[in-house]
Amino acid sequence: MTRTARAARALTLADVARATIVIVVVLVIQQTVLDSVRIGGAHPDLMVLLPVMAGYAAGPDRGAVFGFITGLVADLFLPTPYGLSALVGCLLGFSTGIATRGLVRSSWWLPPVVAAGATAAGMGAYAILGAVLGDPGMLRAYLVPALVVETPSAALLAVPVLRFVAWAVPEPGPSHGAPAAGSVR
Amino acid sequence: MTIGLLVLASIAIITLDYRGQAHGVISGVKRGAHDAFSPVQHAVDAVARPVGSFLSGAIHGGDLESQNAKLRREIGDLQRQALITQATRNSLRALQRLDQLPWVGSTPTVTAQVTALSPSDFAATVQLDKGSTSGVAVGMPVVGGAGLVGQVIEVWSSGCTVRLVTDVNSSVGVRFGAGGNLALVQGSGLGRGLTVNLVAPGTALHKGEVLTTSGLQNAQYPAAIPVASVTSFSSTPSATQEAVSARPLADLAVLQYVDVLQWQSSP
Repeated sequence: MTRTARAARALTLADVARATIVIVVVLVIQQTVLDSVRIGGAHPDLMVLLPVMAGYAAGPDRGAVFGFITGLVADLFLPTPYGLSALVGCLLGFSTGIATRGLVRSSWWLPPVVAAGATAAGMGAYAILGAVLGDPGMLRAYLVPALVVETPSAALLAVPVLRFVAWAVPEPGPSHGAPAAGSVR
Repeated sequence: MTIGLLVLASIAIITLDYRGQAHGVISGVKRGAHDAFSPVQHAVDAVARPVGSFLSGAIHGGDLESQNAKLRREIGDLQRQALITQATRNSLRALQRLDQLPWVGSTPTVTAQVTALSPSDFAATVQLDKGSTSGVAVGMPVVGGAGLVGQVIEVWSSGCTVRLVTDVNSSVGVRFGAGGNLALVQGSGLGRGLTVNLVAPGTALHKGEVLTTSGLQNAQYPAAIPVASVTSFSSTPSATQEAVSARPLADLAVLQYVDVLQWQSSP
């Protein structure tokens, strides 16, 4: 199947299966490897990076849906309010898709920069929403270590995660952004 | 359109969880997810943990040499203390029989291993390998060798999540001093000290003063569990309370085994 033909169609069962595989594999890697990599009390978080890269690879709508589902799954294992990661995930996927859809993606440095910027914004949103929901400590005590660790690690992990996500979440059609000469596929 | 629906759905889920209307359902789903994921996690963990340890070791490699030197010195000290400890242990057993320390003497415990650190950068928690099938329940206190570690906040059949005393949402009522002064110990985040609130200006304090759980009615913890020791205190003329800092007595950075006290707060 050509890239154009694949991009023009709607999501199929195979796409859903691939997206499920991506979420489960990333969740396992996160819980078994990355959660134990502690720097100043914080660790790299692939479950935040997934929606960002989904928005980058597949545009705002599919990024939002993928971010919402990823967040719901992540929330199952977090002690923070249920639904908070889903809210931040769908906002991250959507806003990353909107912010990057006009960009020509031939630069190798673009995914790391987008990943770092969007992850930092996501962490800020997560802490602010947590504080609004009655947990001011998320903003006061945890945000800075999370930003210091997760932002650079998101930049480092952006390219492999983007390739993995782009394999699972196809672009919805030609209307989404400029297809990339240096694209991930 | 899509984003609007998703945001509304997220807010609805958060609201239902907060208001408690769907809390039972959500807790059940979370327990099911933990139970389903635990075998996968343990299997992959056995293979992947060395990778995580390697990465962690690479990041903290600079500290390892100094830690090794420190540990060698400590081994020498410990060997010297071993002989003394044996005699002290005998004395301690006798004292426990005499004093019936509430958290050691009479409360049944479940010994558990720490299996994972917090999956979130926005909470100071650990996960244990004992859950509801071992008699662990939400609200039970968790102690390490030297003192209070935290409290169980989530349980599934084969494990549980413990909120550490350093978490910003942790508050522990404590007593200290000969007069049994009361105060409130609150967390400031993982790896940081504790803040001791409600200490009146001019209260007699000294560095190293041990704070123990108060055990007042409706308390979250039984009485007399050592919690923290005072590291600094100061007061300004206009202050309504002393600014007191403390550090947890249990070494939360290297937790491996802990005891869950099968104790529930009485209403």
